[in-house]
Amino acid sequence: MDLPFYIAVGVSNGTLYALMALGLVLLYKTQNFVPFVNGEFFTAGAFAAFSVYNIFAMPYWAALCVAVLCGAAIGYLCERAVIRPLANSHHLSLVMVTVGASIFLQGLARMKWGDDIYTLPPIAADFTVRFAGVPIAAQNLIIVAAAIVLVGALFLFFTYTTMGKQVRAVSQNLIGAQLIGINPNTVYRTTWIISGVLGAVAGMLAAPLTLLYPNMGSEVLIKGFAAAILGGLTSIPGALIGGLAIGISEMLIAGYISTVFIKISAFIIIMIVLLIKPEGIFGSKAAGRV
Amino acid sequence: MSEPMLSVENLSVSFGGLVALDKVSFNVEPGQIHGIIGPNGAGKSTLFNAISGLVPSAGRVCLAGLDVTGLPPHARPGHGIMRTFQSLQLVASMTVLENILVGVVGRRNAGDRFRKEMKNPFSSANERENLEEAYEIAEVLGLTRLIYKTVDLLTFKEQRFVEIGRALISRPKLVMLDEPAAGLAGPEIDELRDLLLQLQEQKGFAMLLVEHVMSLVKQVCRTVTVLEYGAVIADGPAAEVLSNPRVIKAYLGEEGYA
Amino acid sequence: MNRTLTTFSTIVLVLIAVAVLGDAYTQYVVNLVITFAVISIGLNIVLGFSGLLSFAHSAFVGVGAYATAIMMSSLGMPYLFALPAAGLFTAFIGVLVGLPAVRVKGLYLALVTIACLYFFEWTFIHWDPVTNGTDGMVMPDISVFGIPLFDDLQKTYVLFPVAVLMYWVATRLMSSRLGRSFVMVRDAELAAQTCGINIMKARTLAFATSAFYAGVGGGMFAATVSFIDPHSFGLLQMIMLFGMVLIGGISSLVGSLIGAVTLTVLPEFLREFQGAQEVLYGLLMIIFIIYMPNGIAGLLRSKGLIQPTSLGGRKPSVSVPCHKLLGFRFLSTEALYARLRRQK
Repeated sequence: MDLPFYIAVGVSNGTLYALMALGLVLLYKTQNFVPFVNGEFFTAGAFAAFSVYNIFAMPYWAALCVAVLCGAAIGYLCERAVIRPLANSHHLSLVMVTVGASIFLQGLARMKWGDDIYTLPPIAADFTVRFAGVPIAAQNLIIVAAAIVLVGALFLFFTYTTMGKQVRAVSQNLIGAQLIGINPNTVYRTTWIISGVLGAVAGMLAAPLTLLYPNMGSEVLIKGFAAAILGGLTSIPGALIGGLAIGISEMLIAGYISTVFIKISAFIIIMIVLLIKPEGIFGSKAAGRV
Repeated sequence: MSEPMLSVENLSVSFGGLVALDKVSFNVEPGQIHGIIGPNGAGKSTLFNAISGLVPSAGRVCLAGLDVTGLPPHARPGHGIMRTFQSLQLVASMTVLENILVGVVGRRNAGDRFRKEMKNPFSSANERENLEEAYEIAEVLGLTRLIYKTVDLLTFKEQRFVEIGRALISRPKLVMLDEPAAGLAGPEIDELRDLLLQLQEQKGFAMLLVEHVMSLVKQVCRTVTVLEYGAVIADGPAAEVLSNPRVIKAYLGEEGYA
Repeated sequence: MNRTLTTFSTIVLVLIAVAVLGDAYTQYVVNLVITFAVISIGLNIVLGFSGLLSFAHSAFVGVGAYATAIMMSSLGMPYLFALPAAGLFTAFIGVLVGLPAVRVKGLYLALVTIACLYFFEWTFIHWDPVTNGTDGMVMPDISVFGIPLFDDLQKTYVLFPVAVLMYWVATRLMSSRLGRSFVMVRDAELAAQTCGINIMKARTLAFATSAFYAGVGGGMFAATVSFIDPHSFGLLQMIMLFGMVLIGGISSLVGSLIGAVTLTVLPEFLREFQGAQEVLYGLLMIIFIIYMPNGIAGLLRSKGLIQPTSLGGRKPSVSVPCHKLLGFRFLSTEALYARLRRQK
C-alpha cells in the first residue's frame, strides 16, 4: 500500500540527484575530472530561494530566476578563477582545488547564515494531488516537471545550438576539437555555467522540502556521485537513470528496512559499483581499471 | 652447447583485429648482444612489451630454460630480465642514485633476499651495500659527478644511462634495451657503443637491442632478427642479415647500410 | 639532511618553548599541532609520496582514536601500549580498505575512499555498543610509567617524543626501498612493474603505512581532546587534513609538519568568526594549489632552509653542524662514502 508512495517520493528525490549527476557527468566528459564543488551550487540555489522568498517575499518563479542566476554566476566564477589557471595540471590538482573552492563557499555560507537551520514555508501550501490513488505533494510533481523541462532544454541545446555541438565535440575528442578551431575555454565556461544552473535549480526545487543549512550540499553531492557512478561517468542518460535508481532504492530501503540506512545506501552503492564494474551501467570501458 | 638465455617461440600479439606480432621466434645466446631491427610499425616495441609481460600474448617466452610466459610483469625481473624504455621512465624528482637504486627491488636470489628481508628490510647495512653498488655502477656509466643531481637536470644521454644503471643494479642475466640510441648525437652513440661492449665483456650478460641506428647495430650485435609487419623476415649473424636483399628492401631502399 | 634537521629542530624547540611558557589553552593547541603533524605525515605518505587520492584518512584517525580508548578501557592497556596497538589495528583496517581500493584508477579511488569515509562516520555514529554512538566516548585517564597525566603540559611531554619518533621513522621509511617504490609507482608505473615492483602490493602498503600513522595520530588526538565525538572524523576534517598537506608541501615530510603548525594555529585566531576558518582554509588551498604547488616547503627549499625529503640518495649538506649544538653526531652520508672509498 505504501509502495506507490515510496516510489513517488523516490522519483522526486531521484530527480534531484539526477540533476546533480548530470552536472557532474557533463564536467567529467569535457574536462576529465570529477569536481567536488557542485554541492555548493545546490546550497546556493536553496538559499537563493530562501532569501528571495523570505526577505523579498517574491513569488516562486522569481526564486527560480534568482537561483539560475546564482548558479550560473558561481559556476562561471569557479571555472574562471579556480579551474582555468590549472588547465593542464594533473587531475589530482584539479580535484583538490575544487575541494578548496567547496570549503571556501561553505565558509561563506556559514558566515552569512551561521549554524542555524532554516526552512521554507511550503510553496504550494500543502497542496496534494491524488495520483493513482496516492497523495503526492505538489512540490514533488513540480520537481519532476521542472526537471523534465530542464533536461529537455539541455537536449535541445546540445543537439541544435552551435555551442552545444562544440561541447559535444570537446567531450569526444579534445585535440580534434581544438584542431578545427574550437576554443576549449569557451566550452568549459559553458559546461560550468550549465552545471552551476543544474545544481542551483535542484537546490531551489528541494528547498521547500528540506532543512536548509550551509553544509547541505555535501550530502547531495555524494548522492550525485553515486548516481553518476551507477549510471557511468561518461553517460548522460546514465546519470539520469542512476539518479532515479538511487532515489527510489533509498526510499524503499527506508520504508521496508529502516530509515537509519538512508544515508549509507548511496555509499554502499558507490563502493559496490566501483569495485565490480567501475564503468557503471552505461559507461564506456575506457574509464575504470588501473 | 648451453641453452639460450632467452627463447621466444611463436610469440603472437593482436590488438582487436590488428595483428602486431605474428608467430615471432628467435633465441638470444648467453653473453651475446642480439639486435632487433625493422621498419617503423614492425612491432619491435610490442615485442619488448610482450616479453616484459605488459601486453597479453600467445606463444612462449623462456628465460634460461624457465618458462616465464604466464608471469606478471613484476615477477620477471626476479628471473633476471630487465628492460629500459624508449621514452624514459625515470622519476624526475629523484636523484641519479635514487633512480638507480629502484632497480634493487628486482634482484634475483629470492631466497637470499628473503633472509635479508627477514633480518631487517630497512637496515642501514643493507642500504649501504646497495648505495655502494649504485655508486660503482654510476662510476662505470661515467655519472659520478652527477649522482646527487635530480635527473630532470641531466642531459638526455645521461638520463638514458641512468635507466641502464637501474637495469644493471638488479644483476640481470638479460637486459633489453629499447632504442637506446634514439635522440642521441654521434659522439654520444659512440659512448653508448663503448658502454655496451664494455658491459658485455665485464659483466657477461646477454642483451637484446631494439635499434634504428644501423651503425650501432653493426658494431655491437653479433646476431640480428629482422621484423616486418610483425613477422620475422630474417634471423642470423649480423653481417649476413644486414646484407640480405629482402631486409634492405624492407627499409625501402636504404642501401647505404649494406 | 643537516639543513632540514636544523629547521626541524628549530620548529620543535619553538613548540616546546611555547608549550612551557604558555597557558593551558596554548598547551592544548600545541598538543593539537603535534597530533596533526603525525596525522599529516601519514596523509603525505599516501597522497604525496604514493599519489593516491585517499579520502579515507580521516576515518582511519577515528578508528585509531576509538581503538585507543577501547583498548585502554576494556583491555586495561596502558596508554603507551595502546597507541602502537591502535596504530597496528588501524593499519590492518587500512589494508582491508586498500586491497580493493587500489585496483581502480585515481579518480575512482577518490570516490571509493569518500564512500569509505562516510561509511566509517556512519558506523561511528550508529554502532552504539562499540562506540557509544552520538554520546561519544570519554577517554580514560592516561598514566605513563605509573605517573598519571592531568594537565595539557604533561601530555605534551608524552606526545612530543612520540611525534618525533614517528617523524624519524617516516624519514627512514622514505629513504628506503619502500619509499622509492612508492614514488616509482606514482610517477613511472610501467617501469616500476618491469623493475620488479608489484603495483598493487606497493599501493596497499602505502595505505597500510598511512593508516598506521593515522591510527597513532588518532590515539594522540583522543588523548588531547579527552572526549571522542563521532562527528570529528568526517569530510570537513578530511578537507582540513588535505589543506595541511597541500599547503605544507606535498612530498615533503617537514612540509607536513609545517602545514600542521600553520593550519592548526591560524584558524585558532579566527575561532570567534563563524565560517571564517573555512573561508581561510579554502582560500589558502586554492591559492597554494594554483600558485605554489610545492607548498611552504617549496618556498623554504628555494631559500635553502630545507632540502627535499631524501629517498636514499641525496647529497649530504655541509652547513650548520647542529650536532655540535646538541653534542652528538649522526654519521653523515659523506663520511660514509669517504670511509667506503678508503676500504676499497
